[in-house]
Amino acid sequence: MPYHYNTPEDQREMLDAIGAASIDELFAPIPDALQLKRPLNLPPALSEMELDQHLRQLTALNDHAGTKVCFLGGGSYDHFVPSVCDVIGSRSEFYTSYTPYQAEASQGNLQVMFEYQSLITRLTGLDVANSSLYDGASAAAEAALMALHAGGNRTKVIAPSTLHPEYRQTIATYFENIDAELVTLDCPAGVLDADALAAAIDDRTAAVILQQPNFFGCIEDADRVAAVAKGAGALLVAVFDPISLGLLKRPGDYGANIAVAEGHTLGTPMSYGGPYLGIMACDNSLVRRMPGRIVGETTDRRGKKCYVLTMQTREQHIRRDKATSNVCTNQALFAVRASVYLAQAGPQGLRETANLCLQKTRYLAEQLCQHDRFSQAFDAPTFKEVVIRDAENNVAGLLRDALDAGYLAGLPLGRWYPELSDCFLVAVTEKRTKADIDALVKSLTAKSARQPAHV
Amino acid sequence: MRNTRDTQLLFDLSKPGRRAARLPACDVPETAIEDLLPASAVAAAPPALPEVPEPQIIRHYLNLSTLNMSVDTHFYPLGSCTMKYNPKRNERAAAMPGFADLHPLQPAETIQGMLHVLYEMQQYLSEISGLPACSLQPAAGAQGEYAALLVAAAYFRDIGQAAQRRKVLAPDNAHGTNPASAVMAGFNTITVKTRSNGGVDMEDFYKKLDDNIAVFMITNPNTVGIFEPNMREIADAVHAKGGLVYLDGANMNAILGVTRPGDFGADMQHYNPHKTFSGPHGGGGPGAGPICVTEVLAKYLPSPMVVKEEESGVRDQESAGTSSLGRDLTPDSRHLTPKYRLDYNRPHSIGRVRSFFGNVGVLLRAYCYIRTHGPDGLRRVSENAVLNANYLLSKVKHILPVPQGDRCMHEFVASGSKLKAERGVAAMDLAKRLLDFGYHAPTVYFPLTVPEAIMVEPTETESKETLDAFAETLFRITGEDPELLHEAPHTTAISRPDEVQAARNPMLCCRVD
Repeated sequence: MPYHYNTPEDQREMLDAIGAASIDELFAPIPDALQLKRPLNLPPALSEMELDQHLRQLTALNDHAGTKVCFLGGGSYDHFVPSVCDVIGSRSEFYTSYTPYQAEASQGNLQVMFEYQSLITRLTGLDVANSSLYDGASAAAEAALMALHAGGNRTKVIAPSTLHPEYRQTIATYFENIDAELVTLDCPAGVLDADALAAAIDDRTAAVILQQPNFFGCIEDADRVAAVAKGAGALLVAVFDPISLGLLKRPGDYGANIAVAEGHTLGTPMSYGGPYLGIMACDNSLVRRMPGRIVGETTDRRGKKCYVLTMQTREQHIRRDKATSNVCTNQALFAVRASVYLAQAGPQGLRETANLCLQKTRYLAEQLCQHDRFSQAFDAPTFKEVVIRDAENNVAGLLRDALDAGYLAGLPLGRWYPELSDCFLVAVTEKRTKADIDALVKSLTAKSARQPAHV
Repeated sequence: MRNTRDTQLLFDLSKPGRRAARLPACDVPETAIEDLLPASAVAAAPPALPEVPEPQIIRHYLNLSTLNMSVDTHFYPLGSCTMKYNPKRNERAAAMPGFADLHPLQPAETIQGMLHVLYEMQQYLSEISGLPACSLQPAAGAQGEYAALLVAAAYFRDIGQAAQRRKVLAPDNAHGTNPASAVMAGFNTITVKTRSNGGVDMEDFYKKLDDNIAVFMITNPNTVGIFEPNMREIADAVHAKGGLVYLDGANMNAILGVTRPGDFGADMQHYNPHKTFSGPHGGGGPGAGPICVTEVLAKYLPSPMVVKEEESGVRDQESAGTSSLGRDLTPDSRHLTPKYRLDYNRPHSIGRVRSFFGNVGVLLRAYCYIRTHGPDGLRRVSENAVLNANYLLSKVKHILPVPQGDRCMHEFVASGSKLKAERGVAAMDLAKRLLDFGYHAPTVYFPLTVPEAIMVEPTETESKETLDAFAETLFRITGEDPELLHEAPHTTAISRPDEVQAARNPMLCCRVD
């Protein structure tokens, strides 16, 4: 068999040393009636070469961002992954190492995590960051729980409908069996109306969760939302797009107390949605309520500066049922990749990347909306995504035609927003060229032969 | 060769004007940013990221990497963590553009190959667990526990017993995530005592078992490496009280194809594919936490799930011959009805616990692992994992007492209490000294039920020679000068860190100058 060493002779010698007649005897503590008396019903073993062929056959059935031009967004984006991220991320000492509980044998990981936390604080403008969570949605849910715990008797969390629908669903799941309520505010203008927030917020509200730019790509009035939240004594949780911070104000700049993000865009491919990187930062007052691993600087016995996992009394392996969260693993490998990404980008690279997204999204919206069939659903300025309304109300047919022409052209919004069933969300990253955009516009505006969708 | 000259902080390498990334010029007509974005939303300057050229980035991270132990470089007898070899073919598979460059919200007809893998994984994990329904969504073992407990809560709500069933019982040697997950899911946790062999103390169990039980969470084989002697009785008693049994699947590496949780009484379980199915640990993650449940609980599982349509006219991938290019050379079949799709229409589902489908990259590696092992190979994995652990136990028991006895499953827990009493050497001293000899330390001080616990799990991917050498080293260390051990490690990049100082005066990021 492929990965273990024991020859029949080794097994014999080992069994003799143990004092057992057979390997089966080692399983004797499992009552006979509970043992499986047949082989597992699984396909027979493949060699590496056969596996390779099998996977090629399967991947040939997939369209991907290398075979169709990808304009899909909604929380996962076809950003460029620089080669340095792959090189560092595939280094065995990073990807086959364990959680750095043994600090003396893990200074590489610990220093990188410390640097990652430092990079995230600079990115967000907040005081502290943890060493990562699972993904953006669960990080948002954890942030909501933090706010509830910090808020004492406050049991309400407000999220506008402009927060990613899957993030709202995740938070709702996390709230299902505890004393907490998620209130969703409708946003017909595509952005949260601060007056509507002011009307809904009260002294039971622990937090307001604001996505900036929001799910529709629109820029929210974060300053006003923050002021309303602060005025009611609630915390502001910001869900941000790391790439956008090359241009936009940082969550800490507009008064967020906790900031979370989906960080796969920093050097990790889309990978059909995971594993991803949950980024979390907060202000100093909340650090002891933060979930997840945190690395701190200290000194060793010889006085040498070093790094270690710290404040572990928050965590499940120490505090069990009193822990701030059940989170155990982080996404260390992707925190490594994100650090490398941010290091290679630098402030100018991040700014240029953000600007390319902004300009190209604007260009696409302008080109498309020159045609009578299409208009922008919302007036608010956008960053790298835009909601397009189809006057012919045939989004499914339109997107299917575009697919045939070679484009993953956008996300139909009717699934999450029935009132936007004539709309789709288009994302434009720095990877898309003018030629891509022109060709997509041409494809979408070609006279379609297809009848309205049958779905 | 280790180079510790070049391990300054990333920020110390920064110099204004240096840079690595070069982006293409903007090829669309540019509009001034102030005309596109409201002034109140725009930052005066981009974040103060370091400015470092590419060669320096590579040298920085590569030199840091050499300060880590890893499975590819060292033996990791780390109990409860199953630090087995991570096959390289799995890495190549996950990086294939046809998987890595898929957007999570692509239409089903464009991802039939991906959905095939995920559908098969649901089937494989159900078969291995003996539990017929599977959700691949949870992002980690702890999130799998949490999702399964939400499933249990939804079930009890449905049958009108939510108010009554508030209690989750778990043994005192359970992973800390068990009680933490139970609290997050809205339950109260009750700890059940265990005996010195790691088995559940049945007297205490019956004392705490009543009509208010929701779930009994058990790790089997348990964290001491013993198959729970009263497993069937415990499951029957919990079921008789109307409760559910949850299996913490952290130790599945011991029982693949030997026994199945569904067959020994579990109603729900999670897997740790990064342990059992060789996903790399990544320095702490990512992992994944797929869960399997009984038929009765299936409708509560997270959404979406992959479903296979009834006959759709698409050729079966498995039975058709494959050209050596790995490509189907017959005309494109994708315009037929999709064979697989995601089912979101599951009104009883608990919803979702994260965005998108799941930690697909980890699941894909697990898929490759299962496909390259097959049914016999998976059983051989467990056989050799158990053989290696018993062999190492037979050597270690002459050096350190192993309170649980002479046999174990995939891991065992030795006790350093005699060594501590006689020579003043703590389990931690042993662990740290092992680092000097090029071994990652075993798990120490867990489970809490064994004094001076030293928890050893060799896994099946180590040779007899490695185990012999490890036991010899352990023997040698126990005879060393206690002073030497108190000060260990001596050869690593740093000596023992001051953890108290780190927690008391937290310095969690480098200061902005």
